[in-house]
Amino acid sequence: MTLELFFQLLLNGLIVGMLYVLIVLGLDIIIRVCNIYNFAHGYIYALGAYLFWFSYVSLGLHPLFALLLSLSLMALFGIITYLGVFNALQSRFTPDVPFSHRLLLSAMLSVGLMMVVGRGILVTFGTEDRGAHSIFPQMINILNVRLPVEKLIIVMASFVSMAGLFFFISKTKIGRALRAISSDREMSSLLGVNTTWISLVGYTLAVVLAGFAGALVVPVYAVSAEMGKTMFFISMVVMMIGGIGSYKGTILGGIIVGQMMSFGFQFIGGLSYLAIWILFMIVIIFKPGGLLGEVRD
Amino acid sequence: MKFVTNWRASRTAIIIVVLVITVLLPLIVRNSYWHHLFIMGFINSLLGMTFSVIFCCAGMVNLGTGAFFGIGAYASTMLVMIGGWPFWFALPTSIGITGIIATAFGLISIRNPGVPFVLLTMIFAEIISQIAGQIQFFGGWGGFIMVPRPNPIGGIEFNTKVPYYYLILCLFLLVVVVFKALYASRIGRVWKAVSLSPRLAETLGINVYRYRVLAFVIASSAAGLAGSFYAHYTQTIAPQTFGGFFSILVQLYPILGGIDFYVFGPILGAAIMTFIPEYLRITKEIEPIITGLLLLTIVIFFPRGIIGSLSNFPHVRLARISDRVKEITNWLSGMGPR
Repeated sequence: MTLELFFQLLLNGLIVGMLYVLIVLGLDIIIRVCNIYNFAHGYIYALGAYLFWFSYVSLGLHPLFALLLSLSLMALFGIITYLGVFNALQSRFTPDVPFSHRLLLSAMLSVGLMMVVGRGILVTFGTEDRGAHSIFPQMINILNVRLPVEKLIIVMASFVSMAGLFFFISKTKIGRALRAISSDREMSSLLGVNTTWISLVGYTLAVVLAGFAGALVVPVYAVSAEMGKTMFFISMVVMMIGGIGSYKGTILGGIIVGQMMSFGFQFIGGLSYLAIWILFMIVIIFKPGGLLGEVRD
Repeated sequence: MKFVTNWRASRTAIIIVVLVITVLLPLIVRNSYWHHLFIMGFINSLLGMTFSVIFCCAGMVNLGTGAFFGIGAYASTMLVMIGGWPFWFALPTSIGITGIIATAFGLISIRNPGVPFVLLTMIFAEIISQIAGQIQFFGGWGGFIMVPRPNPIGGIEFNTKVPYYYLILCLFLLVVVVFKALYASRIGRVWKAVSLSPRLAETLGINVYRYRVLAFVIASSAAGLAGSFYAHYTQTIAPQTFGGFFSILVQLYPILGGIDFYVFGPILGAAIMTFIPEYLRITKEIEPIITGLLLLTIVIFFPRGIIGSLSNFPHVRLARISDRVKEITNWLSGMGPR
């Protein structure tokens, strides 16, 4: 294995890992703020990718405008699905509802949403793989290692968006409300936080994050209808390996799984999925709360 | 009113009527396509029942039904095709194999019955399907085709769908009787206590962990039974069938019908989810969209499932729906941070 191959694989793994982190952070926010286990999140990510592909390739917009358009469409989608679907569930989740019922009802709702979104994508955009021309086709030479500029930009963009998310959550007023709700819903409602509005913000934020991750992937990889399904399983695995509710853990888990995907596909091919599932089993059996998290419920 | 007050008697009457109808069904409807749908409906309701038994008895959400369904199907197929066993020996043996694997998996995974258990079972289903696909001994990604039909027994040949229908009906009733007997026994009372409040049950000296494993193993063995029947009925098995997504769809049947009713709930839910998509075949491409929207509607407006909602008075339900609409409109008119 040459040094160049190694660094390219490392970069690929970092990109994939960062995508996982963006998606899983959204999933985490939905679970902590809205108490909803969203099984449709993988397909929401696929929807984001297709929307960006549509506005970039089909409409021929400038990438930045295409990103803006696709993200605002995703935000609209998030608002509609939250108000139409999950809000009805939210009012039913009183503190005495046992965890298993909560999980079951939210799983049902999100599976219904998943069927609608998944087939909707398939019907609207067709079954064949979609690709786009890369936006920055140059290569950059760092210490005699040639790396594509585009992938570096993707890694940087995901880091920047993550930093923005952490700033939003820790410093702004709405972010504080999000954290308050995730630690005690009833108490924060008593103290004057509009829980429905804040949950809507949290859910929409998560959907936009997934849409952003989907948009980042378009210039590098092909967009296909299968990506939602794969991402659904992988995102659940990353979430559990890192630990629910631990941002550091999520980043760690995303990077580990991303590198396993990248190096695994180079050397053992399709078996790398099996390797990831088995890693997940081992981690969860010995540390049920994930690497850096705690057991909830 | 009399219907409600004489609930117990009318329930017995309903059970007898349903039983007579199911026994006579293939004689009334003489269409092999419909027979196929009935058989698939029974397989699905058997799987849904395993899900709701684990939910009702142990208070756990199991998304790995597909794994044990697949293990049963593969064990039975390989015993018959490679070992040369007759179907009637392979069926109980595959139940046993599924039970052993379920015991091993349950002992490891049920130590944390919350979110870790849910995701472990889901990923276990994926692992089983990956292993079956990647290893050539298990047939690879193509799976097995031409799985032999069950051997003729007592002069009954399995040439048409009707014998299959009666076989799955018998197996289904067998599983129901076993579950009912267990639920009525001391074990069943312990299960009831565990599902109501695991912590309280633990203070009463019940080994909650052991009873959860027991419920999981029994239900998973029933899923293995369904898998063994499925393999010999469709005569083809492929690893993709048993992945994690299959298990997610299985949970829809009992919840649609009503999760607290673990015999009739799955039957009703499986009937709905088997027949409505078939009717929607006219619209072919958008069929999952309509099914998904239907699912959303049912979960939002009938959160206790269809049977659970019917057993309330209808006007209560209507009042609640109008309340919900009022709530949403009120909220929309005053939207924004206060």
